[in-house]
Amino acid sequence: MTPNTLPDAFADLGSWMEWSLPTMGERSAQRQACSISDLEAFYHAMLPRMADVLDFLAEIAPDDAPAEAMALLHLAHSFAEVAPAVECFGQPAVSYGYDVARFIPGPEWAREPSGQ
Amino acid sequence: MSTTEKAVWLTDKRWHDDHPELGTDPIPIAPYISDEQFELEREHIFGKVWLPACRVEVIPEPGDFYVKDVEVCRTSIVVTRGNDGEVRAFHNVCAHRGNKLAYDQSGNTKRLVCRFHGWAYDLEGALRLVPDEDNWFDLDKSCHGLTPVAVDVWEGFVFINLDPEPAHTLQEYLGEAAETLDGYPFAETSAQPYTFTTVFNANWKLVKDAFQEVAHVPFQHHGSLPDGFVSKDNPYTHFIDMRLYGPHGRASLFGNNQHVDTPAQALASAYGSTMVSSVFSGESEVTEPVGVNPTRSPDWAFEMTVFFPSFFLAVTEGTYFTNQFLPLDINRTLVETTTYYPRPRTLAQRFSQEYSRVMFRDIFLEDGRQVEETQSMLRSGAQSHFVLKDEELFIRASFREVERMIAAGVATSGSRQD
Ligand code: FES
Ligand SMILES: [Fe+2]
Repeated sequence: MTPNTLPDAFADLGSWMEWSLPTMGERSAQRQACSISDLEAFYHAMLPRMADVLDFLAEIAPDDAPAEAMALLHLAHSFAEVAPAVECFGQPAVSYGYDVARFIPGPEWAREPSGQ
Repeated sequence: MSTTEKAVWLTDKRWHDDHPELGTDPIPIAPYISDEQFELEREHIFGKVWLPACRVEVIPEPGDFYVKDVEVCRTSIVVTRGNDGEVRAFHNVCAHRGNKLAYDQSGNTKRLVCRFHGWAYDLEGALRLVPDEDNWFDLDKSCHGLTPVAVDVWEGFVFINLDPEPAHTLQEYLGEAAETLDGYPFAETSAQPYTFTTVFNANWKLVKDAFQEVAHVPFQHHGSLPDGFVSKDNPYTHFIDMRLYGPHGRASLFGNNQHVDTPAQALASAYGSTMVSSVFSGESEVTEPVGVNPTRSPDWAFEMTVFFPSFFLAVTEGTYFTNQFLPLDINRTLVETTTYYPRPRTLAQRFSQEYSRVMFRDIFLEDGRQVEETQSMLRSGAQSHFVLKDEELFIRASFREVERMIAAGVATSGSRQD
């Protein structure tokens, strides 16, 4: 279950919880549904916090990840999802690209983490 | 390569000089749009060669099965791991009245049970139970097992061959091209795959061609990869090394070690190999297999092996990816592409893999658009040929192999009919 809360140290990112999405399909659909300025706002809110986010996530093994840590991971995944839109394309979709909705991702994990 | 030796892209070396038998003529477009050609490829190529079906990690336990549809050969194959631990493959067809046996893509079961009338088979392919058995006429269950398909495993890749009597063993077929990868840690690097599937509206050869040259990188991938695989010295992404091994090819891909990471890339690279990162070192453990980066170039990024007809395997440090392009019809190709990593030990590593997964996808989307746009123009008849340059050697070689196999197949079936 994805809770509505992040680990305490990252409470300041709580207003971005709509980006804490567990699958690539959901993250990608949300990227495509946003304007580039929405994506830039999210990207620039996350970027200065990402080093701390990764320091925190680097201490957690998938198999004993608390739900709050998974929620933070899913938020970080959305940062990865929107990064090329902001850093490479200057628009939500890949420039002159194939429709991402036709490009179907497989599972997030080969073996689901057995976390709490 | 010693540091004093000139990088190959700065010399006048031409790959085609090593393969005078291939010629340098333009190659015709007709085989990319011809229905008759497609029927010939179906019969004389896809029905004859070894095709990858899955990784062994997909069927680790006795009772595991995985279904691989092979539309081009008008069949579906079920790959199983029997109680004895052996990997087998069968046509996924019930011996009663021909229903598709396993509808699910994968699973674990003691018996594969046909949903139509309940005939039940063990994972070794034997018919074990027939409901209302006495209503048949002297039914001998031992004569009604599943139809086996040739199967073998190389480095954890399960291959199948739909020819009832394959001309070559898998090892013979993959040959020296496979040997170049001896020692690459496939088992360790395969625990966490990320797969994408799609159907490109394009001929399988056109899709393959788009991936067996990298000369398009500075143009088509300018958005996603502005400086990862090009440099001032190598502005057209020439290969570091390339070689043909029978129908297969292997090439060393250039990476720009002056590449500057984007902010997200830098964050991700700190926790794992990101494929497009600045850590191309020619000195990692991965380069130890003799055939991987064989010239020991410090500019090496990837070793790409293209197995005929359409299986790509590209390895680098800590990660590798595969592409398989299977035709559905003359104009449509099933694309399955997978990047492989070790299972992440921390959530930060999982993030790093996610970044690569996203970038890999977005780069692929640039290719996907191109192959469909190209295919849409081929039938115009405006151009009759592709004009290939030296760096497009693999496209020419693969075209020639298609021609050769069809000619050989037609000759054999012709003599059979005589
Ligand atoms: S077709 Fe399978 S049981 Fe009848
Ligand atoms: Fe490409």
